[in-house]
Amino acid sequence: MKAKDLMIPLQEYLTPDHTLKEAANFLRIAGRGEEKIGVKALPVLDTKGKLIGILSIGDILKAVYPKYMYQMDLGSFTWDGMVETIAKKMADRKVKDFMTQMVITIREDAPIMECVDQMLKHNVKRVPVLNKENKVIGILYERDIFFFITNAMQNSVEVQNDE
Amino acid sequence: MTNEPIVSAQPFVMDTAFWTATAIFLVAYAIIVSEKVHKTVVAIFAASLMIVLKILEQHEAFHVEELGVDWNVIFLLISMMVIINLMRPSGIFEYIAIKSAKLGKGEPFRIMAIFAVVTAVLSALLDNVTTVLLITPVTVLIADALEIDPIPYLISCALASNIGGTATLIGDPPNIMIASKAYLTFMDFIYHLTPIVIVLMVVYILTIKVIWGKKLKTKDSLKKRIMEMDERGAIKDPVMLKKALFVLALVLTGFVFHGALHLQPATIALFGAGLLLLLSKTHEPHHILAEVEWPTIFFFIGLFIIVGGVVKVGLIKWMSLQILDLTQGNMFATSMVVMWFSAFASAIVDNIPYVATMNPLVIDMAKQLWPKLSGLQLLHHPDLMPVWWSLALGACLGGNGSAIGASANVIVIGLSEKAGNKISFMKFMAYGMPIMIITVAISTVYVWLRYYVLKI
Repeated sequence: MKAKDLMIPLQEYLTPDHTLKEAANFLRIAGRGEEKIGVKALPVLDTKGKLIGILSIGDILKAVYPKYMYQMDLGSFTWDGMVETIAKKMADRKVKDFMTQMVITIREDAPIMECVDQMLKHNVKRVPVLNKENKVIGILYERDIFFFITNAMQNSVEVQNDE
Repeated sequence: MTNEPIVSAQPFVMDTAFWTATAIFLVAYAIIVSEKVHKTVVAIFAASLMIVLKILEQHEAFHVEELGVDWNVIFLLISMMVIINLMRPSGIFEYIAIKSAKLGKGEPFRIMAIFAVVTAVLSALLDNVTTVLLITPVTVLIADALEIDPIPYLISCALASNIGGTATLIGDPPNIMIASKAYLTFMDFIYHLTPIVIVLMVVYILTIKVIWGKKLKTKDSLKKRIMEMDERGAIKDPVMLKKALFVLALVLTGFVFHGALHLQPATIALFGAGLLLLLSKTHEPHHILAEVEWPTIFFFIGLFIIVGGVVKVGLIKWMSLQILDLTQGNMFATSMVVMWFSAFASAIVDNIPYVATMNPLVIDMAKQLWPKLSGLQLLHHPDLMPVWWSLALGACLGGNGSAIGASANVIVIGLSEKAGNKISFMKFMAYGMPIMIITVAISTVYVWLRYYVLKI
């Protein structure tokens, strides 16, 4: 079993010049496999189809979160309407300014353990899968690895019986 | 005394070692100013060159007070950083800042003035960088709540921290360095610098009132946001807070009496850091120690060695002779030259390398003037004291002159950039330079009046 066998083939993606408003809408309606139920992140590809980043709903949260609040414990001194005010200001900003640029990727023929290794070490829930030409061909999700693992657990009884 | 003939210095040789050390010194300082390479990296590498090229023996660089690392400065800085790092999670700084904003009743200028005073007082007790790091995030939050431009608040905070830091021995690195080299006590600074800093702060508040007083406006409905904040929610760890405040009070008391106790400030601070680490019952001091600003500490270490090199080869002596030549041994003129030159130099160069160079220079100048004296008789010569104070005032207040003049400014500008509204170099200077000139001018009058007219 390789990364490409578990991944979900690439459907939607973002461009660096999409606005956050557009990107947020894509995230809400994008398909995950068959269902159009929205995704938690989309890859960002440039005009040549090269992967240059990934934009997650976490990045949207970060876009409305003032940087200075990271430096001190100020959460209990915020007010009603603060998120809405900043969200309105940020709506027309570009994806390229908020996407995560250091994307953890995996080769299409990587073993599943290598995918687990990358996910745990870099604390990501999804990794874009690249083919030999470094083009994104799909996304591998934590959930699909989880299903793969549970299948293996259920089959373990049978394996032992065979012996 | 002022017209006493200058005793000519021991002639020194401008040999290979002289030019090598001078070249290392000049190139290192030029790269530090250019900011092409991180200043700490430059300082460490240039310092190592001084030893590798045999300008300094390793023993001199590490263990000789006149030529090497000033461990008094290093341990004072590290210990104060450890105390603050242990104090920070308690929430005390958030509490102070929110409480200050509420004291301002949501009035934009009133808040600005209160923040300036709080920043100045905290800067006098802690270092400026820490103060600015602790005050500015709340400042921007308050400006956001009032829906007004945070930039004036940020600039005001930086300027106030540099003025406030001038007041005490521990307030600003130049003072720590001067105190250590000149054997001045905490109370010396309180007696000689705090009074003028209080005057400067009053003038500063009046100045920002003229600049921003009428421009800052907000709606009454927004003021409510501030008044509804509950500062008591900031205190996360009341037990640790009590311990930290106890230790801080002990340390400050220790500073007040360190002269009488015959203990160096670094000893007092190290004791405080050790005691608070013990009281915090931390099992893993790793992260507390990791948060010490090691790049700053190593910058100091490197600079001390670089300056030691040029002291040893005689460059500093040569420079001191030039100054004496210029002022003809007139001590009032010397004080004035030192103050104004320091102010402009500190606006251009980081004031830490500047003072690291000036300290041995002033001592050398004293040796030329009073060759028969040594030790405290030399360092505390009544005619020399105003020069030390002029150096401190010039170097600390000069930090306001430009965006890169002081570390506090650099931090505030970095923060404004993150907030999406960058303060440009020229914009900072438009406020900083006039404030620098006003404060140094008042200090000039102070030094003249106090030490040359009233002689008190």
